[in-house]
Amino acid sequence: MLKINQGSPQHWALRTLGIAIIALVVVWVPTQMSTSRIGQFSDAFVLIIAAMSLNLVLGFTGQISIGHSAFFGIGGYTAAILIKDHGWSPGYTFYAAAVVAFVVGCLIALPALRIKGIYLALVTLAVAVLFPTLVKWKKLAWLTDGAKGIDSVRYDELPEWPVLGELKGRDGRAVFAYWLAFLVLVITYLVCRGLVKSRFGRSLVAIRDNETAAAVMGVNLTATKVLVFGASAALCALAGVLSTLRTGVITPEGQYVTLLGSIVFLLIMVVGGAGTLWGPIVGGLVYVWLDNTTRGFGSESDGVIGFLFGWSDQSPATLILGLALVIIMFVAPYGLVGLIKRLWAKVVLVVPKPAGTSLSTTGK
Amino acid sequence: MSLLSITGLAAGYGPLEVLHGFDLEVNQGEIVVILGANGAGKTTTMRAVSGMIPRRGRVEFDGQDISTASPDSIVRLGIAQVPQGRGTFADLTVEDNMMAGAYVRRDDVQADLERWFEVFPRLRERRTQRAGSLSGGEQQMLAIARALMSRPRLLLCDEPSLGLAPLITQELFGVLQKLNAEEGLSILLVEQNANLALKVAHRVYLLETGNVVSTGSAAELAADDSIRKAYLGS
Ligand SMILES: Nc1ncnc2c1ncn2[C@@H]1O[C@H](COP(=O)(O)OP(=O)(O)O)[C@@H](O)[C@H]1O
Ligand SMILES: [Mg+2]
Repeated sequence: MLKINQGSPQHWALRTLGIAIIALVVVWVPTQMSTSRIGQFSDAFVLIIAAMSLNLVLGFTGQISIGHSAFFGIGGYTAAILIKDHGWSPGYTFYAAAVVAFVVGCLIALPALRIKGIYLALVTLAVAVLFPTLVKWKKLAWLTDGAKGIDSVRYDELPEWPVLGELKGRDGRAVFAYWLAFLVLVITYLVCRGLVKSRFGRSLVAIRDNETAAAVMGVNLTATKVLVFGASAALCALAGVLSTLRTGVITPEGQYVTLLGSIVFLLIMVVGGAGTLWGPIVGGLVYVWLDNTTRGFGSESDGVIGFLFGWSDQSPATLILGLALVIIMFVAPYGLVGLIKRLWAKVVLVVPKPAGTSLSTTGK
Repeated sequence: MSLLSITGLAAGYGPLEVLHGFDLEVNQGEIVVILGANGAGKTTTMRAVSGMIPRRGRVEFDGQDISTASPDSIVRLGIAQVPQGRGTFADLTVEDNMMAGAYVRRDDVQADLERWFEVFPRLRERRTQRAGSLSGGEQQMLAIARALMSRPRLLLCDEPSLGLAPLITQELFGVLQKLNAEEGLSILLVEQNANLALKVAHRVYLLETGNVVSTGSAAELAADDSIRKAYLGS
């Protein structure tokens, strides 16, 4: 086993190497891979953002939400309505969607967070179920176009970004969507990281670990929970905007707008590692990979796969991921990231600084 | 001079009244112990003082009325609580637990961190470990150190001896006495164990089902026959 000190040149070298590998993959995908693969990665980025947003409330603060699909939908609809009905440039709809979702998130959180555990789960569940119904409501059709949803939501002309050059046609749009999703992902990651590693973030984990003790430390429980719920809703809305811009459509029954979306976000977060910054990233990539490799399993009629999944005409990714979740809960209570960290610690041990003032939450 | 002054304190949970209106006082520099059996309302008293539950009657801290103040403003005024069962944040490191204790402070807390690491050297050794991985005694030390990080003038300590070996408890009470003697910290301590309580207390309140039934100096209560029978088993 290799022992290195935190902050030593070796430690920095190792981190630089890690970042270089990630950067290489991030550039490799849109330049070397097929358009459909690029789309899959964009999809993964969207899900990762949504799972990261959920991670803030559930993973770090311990407040369950099964209602995040509604915030995803609010983001998507805000973008679609502003672009189609009001001629907004797509870029600005991110800000609007975040603001709308933040306000709605806070309003829902205010009464919901006074209750706990199973009741909070039920209230947020109701929000998830209510959202598609509300969107389909006849009296709101002037705004949402009812059940048929809103289509052709897109950039009329792709903005020119430095380095990327001119992007044209279907392939160009896929590459642009990829980089846009990546940009929002990086921003979301930095926001979450900034929040979690701050004094505010410490109060979130404190609430999760022991609410009473957090309160006697002077943490204002209601204000903190409402704020983090609003922030989380805003980030989730960004994922909704991205998804709508990429596919060009949003409908009340659309992917991730219904309750299923909330469950997918939840699965990704828990499988990847709740309460860790990298958990949603690992979980999202694994989910999209599984979703795509298992997609054909339902129509397969031969062999073991046909025997196991032939009865279903849908992608069994959610089912498989659900099973994986049960197994992971046993072998890795802190998700895949926890497992990776544990295995990695057998190879390289990073010795913490003796006088370190790190804000890290450990054991994850 | 009276630091904490409680008159006619009544509190409870919903329709259930647990405390029935008693008076209690903690003077500057005192260790006052609330002694009482399980369910007497000791923890409820702590919660009422720190603003965690609605209460009636008058609670004054340093001459200021805090009967309706919120928990965070009470911490800001200088009352810190070590909750029953320690309540350390298991997934935060020892150091981050202490930083969380300084949550209401906006100034530099590094010096305080070092200072309490001097008093609790075992916490320094474990500063980057998860609090959840500490032993019971270490967690109790951490809970106290964490409370001290807010620079309180009054420390509320709810049954710190709970679940600890006698030797560890002794060490813990030694630290509390030292904090009181050397730092002038006033302490309101809850205990079930009368032997322990009478050793450290300047004054004692005896709580029975939400009422103070007896009060006096530790020596007075130790000399009282009926109390010795009920609480000291001799
Ligand atoms: N959260 C609560 N909700 C309702 N009743 C409570 C609660 N906490 C304590 N009680 C009741 O209040 C009474 C006093 O409890 P407590 O103050 O915890 O006693 P002590 O700390 O002296 O053991 C008990 O009868 C207990 O059942
Ligand atoms: Mg108690």
